[in-house]
Amino acid sequence: MAEPVGFYTDTTVCIGCKACEVACHQWNALPARNGGEVPLSGLSYDNTVALSDVDWRHVKFIEQFSADRTQARWLMMSDVCKHCVNAPCLEVCPTGSIVRTEFDTVYIQEPVCNGCRDCITACPFGVIHVSAEKHIAQKCTFCYDRLQNGLVPACAQACPTRSIQFGPIAELKQRALDRVGQLHGQGASEAYLYGADTKILGGLNAFYLLMDPPETYGLPTAVQAQVPSRSVWPASVKAIAASLVIAFGAFVSFGRRKRAVAMTEGRGGPSR
Amino acid sequence: MNLELNTSVADPQWHGLIVWYFFLGGIAAGAYVMAALADLFGDIDDRPGVRVAYYIAFPLVGVCGLLLTIDLGRPERFWHMLIQSNTGWPMFKWWSPMSVGSWGLSAFGLFSFASFAGVLAEDGWLGLKRFSPLASRLRTGLAGRLFALGGALSAFFLGSYTGVLLTAGNQPVWSNTTWIGALFLASAASTGIATMVLLDRSLKLNIKESVIEHLEQLDSWAIVLELVMLAIMAISLGHLSRSAFGTWPGLLIPAFVVPVGLIFPLLVKRWGGTRAAETASIFVLVGGFVLRSAVVGMPFPLLSLTTVGR
Ligand code: SF4
Repeated sequence: MAEPVGFYTDTTVCIGCKACEVACHQWNALPARNGGEVPLSGLSYDNTVALSDVDWRHVKFIEQFSADRTQARWLMMSDVCKHCVNAPCLEVCPTGSIVRTEFDTVYIQEPVCNGCRDCITACPFGVIHVSAEKHIAQKCTFCYDRLQNGLVPACAQACPTRSIQFGPIAELKQRALDRVGQLHGQGASEAYLYGADTKILGGLNAFYLLMDPPETYGLPTAVQAQVPSRSVWPASVKAIAASLVIAFGAFVSFGRRKRAVAMTEGRGGPSR
Repeated sequence: MNLELNTSVADPQWHGLIVWYFFLGGIAAGAYVMAALADLFGDIDDRPGVRVAYYIAFPLVGVCGLLLTIDLGRPERFWHMLIQSNTGWPMFKWWSPMSVGSWGLSAFGLFSFASFAGVLAEDGWLGLKRFSPLASRLRTGLAGRLFALGGALSAFFLGSYTGVLLTAGNQPVWSNTTWIGALFLASAASTGIATMVLLDRSLKLNIKESVIEHLEQLDSWAIVLELVMLAIMAISLGHLSRSAFGTWPGLLIPAFVVPVGLIFPLLVKRWGGTRAAETASIFVLVGGFVLRSAVVGMPFPLLSLTTVGR
C-alpha cells in the first residue's frame, strides 16, 4: 500500500476563486449541464450551490453581517468528499462498488454501482449524488487516475493560494498544526482543525482549518456524523424483541382458542 | 443515541416506490408470519385462513422485488446486490442492512414461493392436483414444522429490516432512533392480519367464524403493539420529536395514523355492526401506508442542502 494521502484545506487563505471547481470539472470531464439543464443559481458568487453529481468540488461562500450591516465577514471553504477513515458510504454499499484505494482514499467503481443510493443516506456530509445521466453514485475520486500516475489531484494543483494542500497525511497534519499555532500566535484563537484527529469517523483524510463552529460551514459535529453500523445491533435487538412479543402472543392466543374450541365442541384436543 | 439532527446530508430520493415496497413487503411479511405461526401453534380450522396468506405473500413479494429493481438507477445491475460483479463470488456484508436485506428478501422469496406452490398443489390449481398428497405430507410432520419456523423467521426479518436500514445511516430522524425496525414490524403484523381478515370476510371463504374472530383479535393486539412502538419511538427521539413530528410528513403520524389508522379501527371493532371488520381492516391498511410514507418522508423537509440531479 502506498502512503496514505489527503487534503489539508486552510480556509483562511481561500479567496473563493473556484479554480479548484474548474480544474475538477476539466480533469474529470464533468459536464456543466445536469440531465439537460444548466443548474447555475445566479445567486451571489456561489453559482453551483452545493456538491452534486457534476460538482465534486464546491466553494462555499458564507456571508456574515452584523445586525446594522456595518460589519461584514466572508468565510470561504472549498468542500469535497472527506475520504473518511471509517467511511459510512463504503460501510453500507451493498454491491461493493465503493472501495478504499491503496492511497487510503474512498473510490466508487462505476461499473459496479447500481444506483441504490444507500451511500447517500449514509454520508453525513451530503457528498454523494446520483448522476442524472449515468444513474449511478458520483463523488470526488481523489483523482485516482492522477495519483496512480504520480500527479497531484487537479484541485490542489490549481489552487493559487495553497488553501488546498495535498500530501501524505502525517505531513499535512504537522503542517496544519503549525498553521494553527501561527494563527493563535497572531491572536486568531478561534482557529482549529476539523477532522484532523480521530473524533469524526476515525479521522477525515480531507480535513480543514476552520475559524467558526462546524455548523457555520454546514458541517456535522462529531456527534452528528456517525458510522452506520453503530445502530445496526441496537435496532436489530429491538426488532427481535418485537418479533418475540408477536410470536409469544400468537402462541398464547392460538393455544387459548384451541382450548376454547375443544371445550365448546367437546373435542378431545387439537389436531393438525 | 445521538440526539442531534444532521441536516447537512443529501436526499437519497427514496420516495414513492420505496414507500410501496415497505408497505407491500410489510403486508406480505405480516400475513406470512401469522400463517406460519398458525401452522406451528394452530389447528386444522386455521388452515383456510393460512392458505389465503400463502396465496398473497409470494405475489406481493414478487411485486416488491420488481419495485426495488425499478427504483435502482441501473435496474439491469440488480444482481450486483447478491453477486460480486467483478469476481462472481457472493456479495454479502453482514454489517450493511441493505446487503443482509437483499439476502433476507431472497430467502423470504424462496419460503413464500414454496408455500405458494404448496397451497396451489393442495387446492389442485394449475394441474398440480397430483402433488396434493405430497404437499400435505410435507406440511405436517417435523419437516413441515421446521419449514414453518424458517419461513416465520424470514418473514419477521422482512417485516423489520427495512426500519433497521433507515436507522443505519446519517439522515436526520431516521438515524436518531433505533425503534423504526420494531415499529415497522408491528405495522407489518397489523396490516398483514388486516389483509387476511379483509380477504377472509369479503371472499366469503369457508372459514369458521371463531377463526376469523380470533384473527381480528390478533389484529387488535398488533394495533396496540404498534401504538406502543410509536410512543416509544417518539420518546426515544426526545427533544427531536418536535422537529420530527413537526414536518408535514411527520405530522401525518399524530394527525392521521394514530387517530384514523389505529385508534378508529380499534373503536370500530368494539362497536361491532355489519362490516365492522372490513371497515377496520381498510383503515388499518390506509394507516399502514400513511405510516410508511410519513416515516420515509420525515427527514427531507429538514435537509439544508439543495439536491441536484438524479
Ligand atoms: S465524505 Fe461521504 S462520500 Fe466521502 S468518504 Fe466520507 S461518507 Fe463517503
